[in-house]
Amino acid sequence: MALFLLQTADDVAREIGRLQRNYEFLSYGLTAAWIILFAYVMMMLARQKRLKREIANLRAMLDEKR
Amino acid sequence: MKDAFLYALGVITLIIIGIDIQRIAALPPEAAQGTIFKIIFFHVPVAITAMLCSCVALLGSVLFLITKNFKYDALAVSVTEVGLAFLAANLVTGSIWGRIIWGVWWAWDARLTSALICWLLYAGYLMLRRAIEEPTQRATFAAVFSIFAFLDVPIVFFSIKWWRTQHPQPVFWGGGSFPPDWTRVFLWQMLAMALLAILMVSVRLREEESQREIDSLRRMAHSF
Repeated sequence: MALFLLQTADDVAREIGRLQRNYEFLSYGLTAAWIILFAYVMMMLARQKRLKREIANLRAMLDEKR
Repeated sequence: MKDAFLYALGVITLIIIGIDIQRIAALPPEAAQGTIFKIIFFHVPVAITAMLCSCVALLGSVLFLITKNFKYDALAVSVTEVGLAFLAANLVTGSIWGRIIWGVWWAWDARLTSALICWLLYAGYLMLRRAIEEPTQRATFAAVFSIFAFLDVPIVFFSIKWWRTQHPQPVFWGGGSFPPDWTRVFLWQMLAMALLAILMVSVRLREEESQREIDSLRRMAHSF
């Protein structure tokens, strides 16, 4: 009986460990994927800012030449 | 596209994603794989979105070669870049799922390898564009390269049918099925990813417009 209970406790502990690992890796996966997409959006916004600055500089330069 | 439309699209996308996350969290773990199976609600929609992006890139490239209209070139580069980000998210989520289910981060099977080659080809497309200064030459070479790169897309898609792969067969056309409530969540998540991609492509298209404006301003500056 004691052996049976011990085995059951082991099984429960193993199952809890498996579930925790599952959750852990699911959160890693989703976090990594969102970080990739978020980083890309940030990269786009930074590039857009740089392009706007460049347009303003070019316009200023053209106005000066005129 | 107008700013108001883009903001509205952004808000709608965020709301759908928020609701989806709640619904996915509320679903029970899958019987065989457990909770990690829920990664499918992200892994597959981003893969389908990336494939749709490559189809649009092919269309844009072909139309550019026929018409020589730069708006098609802008569309091709925009969807390629967005598709690359989605494919990267697909590869990373797949790798993390594989670590739990297969016990390894990566397996050189047909699906994974062809998807990685696809990512490298489209990354090469973007690098090629950076290497060529002259706009017409850049767009023409890039369009030809994009058509060549697309040859890998059907290989990625059908690899799990053509070869015996470690990658699982698809749920919907591989003989499997989802419970109806899971299918509903999956389709909503599919819509959310598609809207997110449309939003990103719209923003990226604006950058192309700005780039064209810079090119014309530079030409004016040189002509003085």
